[in-house]
Amino acid sequence: MSESINADRGLTYPGNLGCPGCGASIAINHALKGLGEKTVLVIPACCFAIMAGPYPMTALKVPILHTAFATAAVSAAGVRAGLDMQGDTETTVVAWAGDGGTFDIGIQSLSGTAERNDDIIFVCYDNEAYMNTGVQRSSATPYGTRTTTTPGAGWKRTRKKNIMEIMAAHRIPYAATANIAFPDDFIRKFAKAREMRGGTRFIHVFSSCPTGWGVASSLAIKIARLATRSNIFPLYEIENGTDWTLNLEGDLPVGDYLGAQGRFRHLTPEDLEQIQQEVDADLALIQERVAATRVRKAHLKPET
Amino acid sequence: MIASLRPTLLFPVSRTSTEANRTGSWRFVRPVYRFKTAPCSAACPAGIDIPTVEMLASRGQIHDAWAHICRENPFPAVCGRVCFHPCEDACNRAELDAPIAINALERYIGDAGLAACSPLVSPAAALLQREVAIVGAGPAGLAAGYFLTQLGISAEIFESTEEPGGVLRWGIPSYRLPKAVLAAEIDRIAAAGVKIHCNRPVNPDTLAEMAARYDAVLVGAGLAAPLRLNISGEASIIDGLAFLKQVQAGSAPVASGEVAVIGGGNTAIDVARTLLRQGARPTIVYRRRRQDMPAFGHEIAAAEAEGVRIVELMAPVSAAADGNGVRMTLQPMRAAEVGADGRVRAVPAKQPPQEMRFKAVFSGIGAGVAEPWHRPADEADAIRLSHCAICRGTPTVGYIGDPVTAENSVAHAIGSGKQAAIALHALFTEGPEAVAPAVDRCRVGPGPALSMEIYLNGERSRRNGRVVTFADVNTDYFLRAERCAIPALAPAAAANGFEEAVATLKPRDALAEAARCFNCGICNDCDNCRIFCPEQTILVGEGGRRSVDLDYCKGCGICTVECPRCAMDMEEESA
Amino acid sequence: MRQVLEGSHAISEAVRLAKVQVVAGYPITPQTHIIEAISQHCADGSLKARFIPVESEHSSMAAVIGAAATGVRTFTATSSHGLALMHEVLHWASAARLPIVMGEVNRALGPGWNIWMDQSDSLAQRDTGWIQLYCEDAQDALDTTLIAFRLAETVNLPAMVVIDAFYVSHTFEPVDVPDQETVDRFLPPLEPRFRIDVDHPQALYPMVGPAFFMEMRRSIQDGMEAAGPAFDAIAGEFESVFGRRHSAVETVGCEDADLVLVTTGSVTSTARLVVAQQREQGKRVGLCKIKQFRPFPAEMIRAVLGSAPRVAVIDRNVSFGSGGIFAREIQGALCPLEQRPAVYSYIAGLGGRDITPETIAEVLRLAEETPAPEAESRWVGLNPDVKP
Repeated sequence: MSESINADRGLTYPGNLGCPGCGASIAINHALKGLGEKTVLVIPACCFAIMAGPYPMTALKVPILHTAFATAAVSAAGVRAGLDMQGDTETTVVAWAGDGGTFDIGIQSLSGTAERNDDIIFVCYDNEAYMNTGVQRSSATPYGTRTTTTPGAGWKRTRKKNIMEIMAAHRIPYAATANIAFPDDFIRKFAKAREMRGGTRFIHVFSSCPTGWGVASSLAIKIARLATRSNIFPLYEIENGTDWTLNLEGDLPVGDYLGAQGRFRHLTPEDLEQIQQEVDADLALIQERVAATRVRKAHLKPET
Repeated sequence: MIASLRPTLLFPVSRTSTEANRTGSWRFVRPVYRFKTAPCSAACPAGIDIPTVEMLASRGQIHDAWAHICRENPFPAVCGRVCFHPCEDACNRAELDAPIAINALERYIGDAGLAACSPLVSPAAALLQREVAIVGAGPAGLAAGYFLTQLGISAEIFESTEEPGGVLRWGIPSYRLPKAVLAAEIDRIAAAGVKIHCNRPVNPDTLAEMAARYDAVLVGAGLAAPLRLNISGEASIIDGLAFLKQVQAGSAPVASGEVAVIGGGNTAIDVARTLLRQGARPTIVYRRRRQDMPAFGHEIAAAEAEGVRIVELMAPVSAAADGNGVRMTLQPMRAAEVGADGRVRAVPAKQPPQEMRFKAVFSGIGAGVAEPWHRPADEADAIRLSHCAICRGTPTVGYIGDPVTAENSVAHAIGSGKQAAIALHALFTEGPEAVAPAVDRCRVGPGPALSMEIYLNGERSRRNGRVVTFADVNTDYFLRAERCAIPALAPAAAANGFEEAVATLKPRDALAEAARCFNCGICNDCDNCRIFCPEQTILVGEGGRRSVDLDYCKGCGICTVECPRCAMDMEEESA
Repeated sequence: MRQVLEGSHAISEAVRLAKVQVVAGYPITPQTHIIEAISQHCADGSLKARFIPVESEHSSMAAVIGAAATGVRTFTATSSHGLALMHEVLHWASAARLPIVMGEVNRALGPGWNIWMDQSDSLAQRDTGWIQLYCEDAQDALDTTLIAFRLAETVNLPAMVVIDAFYVSHTFEPVDVPDQETVDRFLPPLEPRFRIDVDHPQALYPMVGPAFFMEMRRSIQDGMEAAGPAFDAIAGEFESVFGRRHSAVETVGCEDADLVLVTTGSVTSTARLVVAQQREQGKRVGLCKIKQFRPFPAEMIRAVLGSAPRVAVIDRNVSFGSGGIFAREIQGALCPLEQRPAVYSYIAGLGGRDITPETIAEVLRLAEETPAPEAESRWVGLNPDVKP
């Protein structure tokens, strides 16, 4: 090969153990572009605990602290405290957890950390089920999904937990959604989170899982894009828990997204209609908050 | 002392990279960069690599875009004005919103090239010590001369009139193609090494002399003989082509009042619009339906907008001149079945013939070959190619341009000159058997357009001939965007004089328009493959050329799906 | 300087003197006074540390793991249910080879909510890879805490400093609180053998497959084995600096004893009185206090108890279906001897029930009168009036 080949792989090494087409792999590549090399990742049990490399290997060029399942946020807070005590306030400490480690087993320590407003970035790369253990439902699994613990006619009939509202309720300085299919927006949000030091920042990343979702690996980005374009996963930011910004409004019906995945194949047109209504209502709620934010900010402006 | 009691530590800490995991072994399909053929470029009779041109233009690399056009066509400023742009009809973007304004962009780029006085650069082809004479300095002859020079063959053109350009000079009115633009592009061809001799008419005798002196002669004499209407009183009808020629030369009488132009082709439109500009009120009389008119749609539309009247389904029966003008007898026609040529035939309707009076009547029904030797004899031992014919023997005589092309247009003439140049080069270097394969090899997609770049084994020769369809394009990456408005004089103002009716795009609009291009089938460095590769296996080499690190590629296929322009394929791993 | 301190504050004073850098804490009786005092130290600047007021004990251990991984000195404290909740992360801390020190106040686990003295909480964590050091009184707690940092940082294993609920934690006693300079001589700043460092990236605690796992577990065992001699050496240094001697196993009059009483924690102080009284009465009774439960000082146990005919062990804990945990460990330690003492196992003082001099006297009497130990541990001090 020619010497001028650019083999720059950013802050990751090839050879990770993710499935072909893994959204989390893409997510880490994007994220590290926004975070830079002065980053410590804290990884609880999740797909990435395996993907990042078995002993004695690592797939990342930044330090990693692997931790117990429930402890991502607080372990990161501990790392932060340790670095601070040594005068290192420059390094960014990032918890990198799956949806189980965020929505379920990790929510207690996440909530505690957010309430203390510890200076970390908490990233949930959400693939909407326990994928590492073989696709069991989590509280991030959306309504209508078949998983190995919501199989057949027992498909999940409760809605996905709204983690963003939970995080906004903590009034943390920054909470944002990001989608691997929108790299510019994704990287911008990570860079913004990095620069907003001094409190807990939360980024909810949509990370497709071809293996668990019944989608061809080649469609990992396509499906992720559809999630946002169908407003199932809108891209928005919440500052200080109250200032809402919608980054992108979708233009497609939910059926385009749901119909393309094995995990939703059983849904009837009536089910789709119900989901569409819920998605519309959720989007309307975000829009209301965005509008309210604008009104409030306009009132705050000094008169000219 | 206590430090000596420290045990050794073996605990979970990773200090080596996962590069030891050659995850490429998981793969059963592999991505390959396989650039394909854009439909526009396959539709371009001159074989221009349009997706690359637009890519360069969108980046503001206008000079590079211009040089890239010139590899296939030395007349960007001319074609940007007069080409009928079948590329735009083929453009995949039409299915999303509207085709790219390829023609207007070509003009923008061509004008930039003229403004910069950039010389045509010849590739470093080996000089062959062969000389070719070309009869006729029309677009086919000039193109042939240019491409022969590019291939290391010296070319001399013999033009019967006092100026080179052929139909570009004498046939196309200046409101469509200013003479200065034409002259500049011809000058550039001459500067590239093509010798152009004017006022050197050729006849069969001089042709024979030439044949003895040159390694080959190409005949590109065009269609110089107007077709006849074959009606009584034809003598009172003015030959439209001759009229246009006179107008160009400044020697035409000025027409006024109600005038008629018979015909439905581009000549009829040009004549009618020229008459309009002289102050006359022209009516086009056409024997078939309006939609059957062979003239370019945009020309018809422009003519009508300027005030040209069109009377369809009316066939001239006879003409009679009197002191005040010409009385035409016209037979109303009706559309009948589709004829052998695939066109809807017109047959006389039941109505009786009608009479119409005009101050003057012009014919614009096209032209044929003026001399029998302007085209190959039917019985000649010829290599008959899509756009030219090469008669073997001593001497080798080839035929180019309108007499041998199925469709007649400037772009086809350029394609013809290119094909003849390639054919002669193959003939000279590898012999007659090599001609057809050489021509086949450099087709753009399914052809018939040919690429000089492919013939010279440039980047384009590695492209796959499959033409990219709209379904191949990942439209997730393209938002609807309006096609640029092409600046033009208001029709009324345009009709007032011979000023150019259409203007060149403004730089900002041109760049924005070029950016609308899908760049079907080629890599435009969008980097999606690299951005989305979960394994970071996309490597970037010299000139931005990307490759896949197959040691680690797991074969997920995201790169191929997310390539917006179908420049990648997945291929099964061989066992 | 001598001060009157409760045991909890003896520990928090030791933490202050150890210049701990990160402390995480969550309240639970009877531990709360420790973290309250440390919070106060952090607030008034007498300790330059970050105090992380977490939302659970699971999180406090996780927080100090995170902090310790950056190479700073860390501390937390807990008790009972809090320790049980930490269980998962206790394993993490030891296999992570992080020298975390934790104050642990022995307390019973519910149900039957019970906040009083009982060793079941700490002993249930015996297999988590933590060093366990049991303290008799407040001075012992202060000294042991300082020793624990030194020991943990020497062998790269976490250490638990265990005190009795209320009997030690809430009991005020005169304590010699050393000055900072003296402590600094004994306990230098932590020099971590590894740490999170963005300039030298490495991944701490990744997945380990069967090819390496056993060797890493063996390495923890090696660390534990090194901790025994290390404790002795550190205790020796401690003595040379502070003048107080501590050992993994402490004996009183065992050399000629017919019967040796084995105790841990505050009950030892009571036992000292009873044993002294019985000695005065001419009985050849000895006392053995076990301070270091992990690593278990089996060699020392054999040396101290091997020649005694009878050994009576008081366990303030029970391993259901087995018996007193210290007794079982001692039996196991003595097993390799050809001539073994008869080991009598007594369970007493669970859930805060007092172990009085009378209780101890009864234990000694029972051991003397019973010709051979029963298979089961004998429960002492049960109230016959309490019936199902």
